[in-house]
Amino acid sequence: MSAPAIKIRITVNGTVHVTDASPTMRLLDFLRNELGLTGAKEGCGGGECGACTVLVDGAPICSCLMVLGSAAERQVTTVEGLGDGAGGLDPVQQAFVEEGAVQCGYCTPGLVMSARALVDSDKELTDEVVRTALAGNICRCTGYKKVVDAVRKVGAAAPDAQATSDHSKEQP
Amino acid sequence: MSGVGGRSIRPDAAAKVQGKQPYVGDIHPPGMLHAAILASDQAPARILRLDVAAARQVEGVLAVVTAADLGDKNRIGIIFDDQPLLVETEIRMVGERLALVVAETPAACQAGLEAVALETEPLPGVYDAEHALDADAPQVHPDGNLIRTFSVDRGDLSSALDTAEVVIEETYRIGGQEHAYLEPQGCLAVPAPTGGMWLYSSTQCPFYVRSAVAKVLDLPLAEVRVLQTPTGGGFGGKEDYPNEIAACAALLAQRTRRPVRLLLPRELDFQASTKRHSMTVHHKLYADSSGCILGVDAEVIVDAGAYVGMSTVVSERANTSLVGPYAVDNVRIRTQVVRTNNLFGGPFRGFGAPQVTVVHECQMDRLARQVGLPPLQVRRLNALTPDRPLWSTGETIAQTERLGAVLDALADSEVMTDSEVMTDSEVMTDSGVTADVHGPAASPAASLVEDDERYRQGTGISVFIYGANLHHGGQPLDRGGALVQVQADGSVSVAIGVTEMGQGALTAARAIAATALGADEERIRITEVDTDMVADSGPTVASRATLVGGRAICDAADQLQARLLPLAAELLDAPDPDALVVVEGGFESPDTKRRVAFEEVAALLHARRENPAAVGWYRSKPRDYDAETGQGQAYMFYSFGAHATRVRVDTWTGKLEVLSITAIHDVGRVIHATAIEGQVEGGAVQAMGWACMENLSLQEGKLMNPSFADYLIPTAVDAPTVNMVFLEDPEPLGPFGARGIGEPSFIPGAAAIANAVAAALGRPVTTIPLIPERILNMLGKE
Repeated sequence: MSAPAIKIRITVNGTVHVTDASPTMRLLDFLRNELGLTGAKEGCGGGECGACTVLVDGAPICSCLMVLGSAAERQVTTVEGLGDGAGGLDPVQQAFVEEGAVQCGYCTPGLVMSARALVDSDKELTDEVVRTALAGNICRCTGYKKVVDAVRKVGAAAPDAQATSDHSKEQP
Repeated sequence: MSGVGGRSIRPDAAAKVQGKQPYVGDIHPPGMLHAAILASDQAPARILRLDVAAARQVEGVLAVVTAADLGDKNRIGIIFDDQPLLVETEIRMVGERLALVVAETPAACQAGLEAVALETEPLPGVYDAEHALDADAPQVHPDGNLIRTFSVDRGDLSSALDTAEVVIEETYRIGGQEHAYLEPQGCLAVPAPTGGMWLYSSTQCPFYVRSAVAKVLDLPLAEVRVLQTPTGGGFGGKEDYPNEIAACAALLAQRTRRPVRLLLPRELDFQASTKRHSMTVHHKLYADSSGCILGVDAEVIVDAGAYVGMSTVVSERANTSLVGPYAVDNVRIRTQVVRTNNLFGGPFRGFGAPQVTVVHECQMDRLARQVGLPPLQVRRLNALTPDRPLWSTGETIAQTERLGAVLDALADSEVMTDSEVMTDSEVMTDSGVTADVHGPAASPAASLVEDDERYRQGTGISVFIYGANLHHGGQPLDRGGALVQVQADGSVSVAIGVTEMGQGALTAARAIAATALGADEERIRITEVDTDMVADSGPTVASRATLVGGRAICDAADQLQARLLPLAAELLDAPDPDALVVVEGGFESPDTKRRVAFEEVAALLHARRENPAAVGWYRSKPRDYDAETGQGQAYMFYSFGAHATRVRVDTWTGKLEVLSITAIHDVGRVIHATAIEGQVEGGAVQAMGWACMENLSLQEGKLMNPSFADYLIPTAVDAPTVNMVFLEDPEPLGPFGARGIGEPSFIPGAAAIANAVAAALGRPVTTIPLIPERILNMLGKE
């Protein structure tokens, strides 16, 4: 049984939501069913595949494992929150498109979010660093090569490329 | 460059990176209900009591359906009529459906499942396929455990037996594999306003889904419409199994008159959906002391699980592929497909060929070792050639110089070049060989290098032949269509009958349409399959999407060019329409070199009110084949390929690491460079997972590791570098010369890894997957 509803305040893609909801609802269900943000996918429901990855205060997490109560008062960024808001792609998304890193696409939003968090970090994007950072996101189609190439390409691009993504920087 | 051979951005990429692509789990029409399956957790067992009265009273539950409610419409078998949609009295496999619940919310569904009262009595089961045909084995079905035997009988094996100087006899046990598509199985059934049923299905085979639903609902095919949703991976796992999911959703939608969505939870998907078949192969290879193969005698046991599903057709490909790309005059193969109470065997990329490729390639390395030849040399010695083109089916394989080109590329590969430097390592001990050894058993089959005491490296190769498209047995399904419409503004709409499941079918179709029409690739829209738009085009399997979709598009384009070219000639003031050349984005006069854009010609086509649409069609020519003897033309045409793979084994932990793979493929023509690389990189890594880490752990038919935490598939950290060589000798029957690549990308992977491990450890490999405990066993450690 889920816990009774309480008032929860959460920021998703820069928009503050104040909602009456059960704090034990999975963040994934809140995003998909309550907000209609279906970019995060459910692949396993156990935190094993990474298809539901979103950023919480900038860190990639499996939204199937986090309950809404734990996300309260925090900044959540989903794949819908990337890009310029007018249909233009985030540099990570653009690189995935250009490098052919997308096949069936079901793992793609999760991979994009993990890659976005990595690019935002100060790490040098060596092959090993990228592969380690993406190890929680399973892809069955690509063999990962073009995914890794895409992420490294973003890292090699102009530094201001990262500034175009404004996710999870604003305060509630 | 755009069109064929180019690298255009795939049409669905932007939507997918933005999370906008609507998979079936993302679609939520008004009034939609949720469905769930009550599945058995033991098998076999007899149902003593299945009482759903309390479940029907649960708040929010609209219906609970059991076999008792379905009467004679409870049938789902696709080839054999041996499988109920819902269990009647006897449960034969774990995960089998006992009841369906449909409710307003997922939570109410769950409560409904929990309110079902079930009592069962366990029955004796068959869990070892190798003993399924024993006289005292329990019978999975009343008609026995032997489903079918496939054979190859060629030449006279006794002559090989008499003259053989080398006999290599071994039993190989090859494990199954879970598809692990990232999107679990799912379907949304929506009652059509006019009385039929619409299915939004994650599937490779919408026409299979349509037939299955029509049968269960007792509707005409024309009243069942299947709209393929973006499909989050297939690999064969969404070939026939989506029929079962769609039939369940459709039944519940029919009963409630509301949309019903059924999404399979991952754990149940692991347990219940089809898997790559595990096979046991007892193989005897007869050769002379120079390494020439004289005969092959093999017995294969295929574990089908409790129901036939598609196990017969998968086994037929295994049976036909078992000798490999070699000219062998004397062959006897018996492939027995048997029933057990294990996992449900079914289609998986390669369709039975990867299992037997492990066998024939491990045997080739054993032969090389026996006669003291390098592995590549023994393959050259036995390979099909223009002088010796007769395969084990007795048919003449065309253009076998392509196999020679594959072997040449293998010799040139980086791994092989390096390994020549390292061939002086220790002699391999081969415990499985007969005493009848001729020639020096000296030179090792593959390179050996010792990093230090702990790590050992090895190199292995594998070569294969792939029968493109469906086997003779599946030829009644082998046709397909395309509807191509030229719009007034020069954009083009194309509907095809083959599906996109991630592999790039839409991308390839668009490139082909662009080049065939002379249209702007960016302005061609390819539609996912809607069974109301294109006639039954068979299944999207057997690497046939590019072939079937491509040839149908080319046929439609030919029809349209008969209308477009005269108009283009008119616009160009050229005397002979047939002399015009279709170029990128339009038409060119060969004399004046003047060009006219496709848009202008399209506008004129519409201005003249000519038919701007054409239906293209493809079908293969009938072939002669005798299923009793396995002799005849099994496939429409063949492709070849090879892997050269380097591995490193940690002898302390048993961990196997694949360092690099060189993949060589005889693809005819590269239709889309990015897509074909994606197929080969992905297929090689998927095969690496099967060979090294993917272990289906079964206990009395129950999968003990039904999660990605316990059933490990390759992550970015595990995936090796894949170097690729594409050989482009055009296929006369393929669109623009192309041969399919989806399945070939997988087929040689495990075999090369097995040979590399054998080389690294100096011991024969007889099993897949090579999980750490098996490596340690090979090393004589616990």
